[in-house]
Amino acid sequence: MNILVFAEVIENEVQEITYELVGKANQLADKVVTLAVGEADVNSINSDVIQVEGESSPLNYVVVKKVFEELKPSAVFFGNTLAGIDVAAQFAADMALPIATMVTDVSVDGDGFVATSVAYGGKVMVDLALKSPAVFVVNRGSFPAEDGKGSAKSVKKLDIEIEDGIEFAGYIKPEVEDIDISKADIVVSVGRGIGDEANIELAEELAEVLGGVVSGSRPVVDSGWLPKTRQVGRSGKTVAGKLYLALGISGATEHIEGVKAKNVIAVNIDRNAPIFRVSRCGAVADVLELVPLLIERIKEVKGE
Amino acid sequence: MKICAILRVVPDLVEDIEINEEELIPFAYIANERDEHAVEEALILKEKAGGTVDVLGVVDEDTAGDIDDALAMAYAKGADNLIKAILSRKTYRRYEVAKALAGFLKDKNYDVIIPGIQAIDAFAGTLGGMLARCMRIPYIGGAIEIEAQDGALSVKKELGGGLLGEYRVSLPAVVGVVSAERPLKFVPFARLKKAMKEAKVEEVDVEVPEVEGVKVTRYYEPPKPEITLLEGEPEEIADKLVEVLREVSVL
Ligand SMILES: Cc1cc2nc3c(=O)[nH]c(=O)nc-3n(C[C@H](O)[C@H](O)[C@H](O)COP(=O)(O)OP(=O)(O)OC[C@H]3O[C@@H](n4cnc5c(N)ncnc54)[C@H](O)[C@@H]3O)c2cc1C
Ligand SMILES: Nc1ncnc2c1ncn2[C@@H]1O[C@H](COP(=O)(O)O)[C@@H](O)[C@H]1O
Repeated sequence: MNILVFAEVIENEVQEITYELVGKANQLADKVVTLAVGEADVNSINSDVIQVEGESSPLNYVVVKKVFEELKPSAVFFGNTLAGIDVAAQFAADMALPIATMVTDVSVDGDGFVATSVAYGGKVMVDLALKSPAVFVVNRGSFPAEDGKGSAKSVKKLDIEIEDGIEFAGYIKPEVEDIDISKADIVVSVGRGIGDEANIELAEELAEVLGGVVSGSRPVVDSGWLPKTRQVGRSGKTVAGKLYLALGISGATEHIEGVKAKNVIAVNIDRNAPIFRVSRCGAVADVLELVPLLIERIKEVKGE
Repeated sequence: MKICAILRVVPDLVEDIEINEEELIPFAYIANERDEHAVEEALILKEKAGGTVDVLGVVDEDTAGDIDDALAMAYAKGADNLIKAILSRKTYRRYEVAKALAGFLKDKNYDVIIPGIQAIDAFAGTLGGMLARCMRIPYIGGAIEIEAQDGALSVKKELGGGLLGEYRVSLPAVVGVVSAERPLKFVPFARLKKAMKEAKVEEVDVEVPEVEGVKVTRYYEPPKPEITLLEGEPEEIADKLVEVLREVSVL
């Protein structure tokens, strides 16, 4: 069985998710081919590689289609990323292939596949049966990257014409701000559960007594309560310090992708909130009630 | 510019969802958040480039009434026409829905069709791309800003980690919005109530074809975490949290 992996190449660099996909593909298939669009160094991908000139573009579904027709793989793996899903959805529709998204596991089942997906913001899991050939859009962090790293078995360069309709005009770098949450050791993060812009102050105060900084989830940033540079998650930054204190954050996949802190403590009124699944400790409580008490206790302990 | 935003309702996650292996039984429905952003961005584009915004509400027979508030909200914010497409379908597969919607949309001459990039249910994240392929027009998702530019669009697309890509997209096109470029406009209740009375909604029935290839075999709850859950009085929880903060040497 062959599997085709669509590499995530951003700013001419192969992204970590690619190795995760290749690792899993190597477990399932006899032959794995990774397709990379762009100038990136592809030598550490542990599979055969096809490299095509181009940029990150939704039109790359055409490139995938050409390679697919040549290779006739049983499955095509994409990363569930902002670039990957544009390509995957169009490729699957154009070829009328079955597709599973938000995938956290894939296995071979007879002539077909079984995939597990997360749905409903992480509250529900779904098992799907797919006929071969099938398309899988896999969540980041589902498989270990090490298994996909090594040295490329072969690298073949191809030229593939893509059609008109979308032109890449350039990258726009993230804004920089005085506070870089990705470098902070202690991060107090607010989600929609904080209720109101005025309550952000509570988090600021808690961050202050803990010596940390304040970040937030997408809805908080979308509402204009915190600057874009403070967003944690797929579209924002990754926090990797000692503590991530999540206040009123549900724990959607897109958010959790940005949480790599050593210790996660979550406060949520919903005892089934998915954030608790990635936490060391969870408090089932109303943030607005708990946080003022917590600030008081911490001040006492610190003798302030 | 003739703009169409796609809006649908999804289960409200604040409420409980009953799960058994074959189905999910939501307690209540709300507008899909990314679609609310799609409607907002459509209205922003209209402000900038002129034209009209139609809002296409996509529902099933049993959720047909649940979208009325969201449609009225769009009307109160400045949408021109409201359409409710009532799907008759057996599955939630986007490919099937995309085929059906493409059939409905193909002779409507929209310049831009704007869905939210992703709904929260299974098979998420693919309708926009699939719709574009069924209609044979360009697609770009992850948009956070759309400008009209000499007969085309300039779209800022998120690429992750704060990085954006800028793309020029020819028309007609499908653009999947992740967030509107400004916060959702607040609509006072009185204005919403007025809109609810005034808004006219055109209803159309859309037959969804069945395509083989993938099926749900089971729904289930994710495994419960093995973590310390602190429950009880807030005072007690605060004390325990201080201990945990000590354990992880933050205090
Ligand atoms: C392409 C794409 C990219 C995305 N990128 C990101 C990203 O970078 N970052 C990101 O965060 N999201 C991102 N999202 C959005 C993501 O899917 C979720 O919608 C978002 O993370 C939800 O934010 P939240 O947890 O604050 O809100 P909600 O999901 O609404 O959760 C609020 C939580 O607060 C709890 N709560 C309510 N009131 C209280 C109270 N008084 N006390 C305690 N708890 C309370 C509720 O129980 C609930 O769990 C992205 C989505 C897409 C489609
Ligand atoms: N089953 C469905 N029926 C109708 N519209 C849908 C369906 N699923 C998703 N949508 C809409 O399609 C867009 C993208 O959703 P998704 O397929 O999750 O990417 C959003 O506007 C959704 O609200």
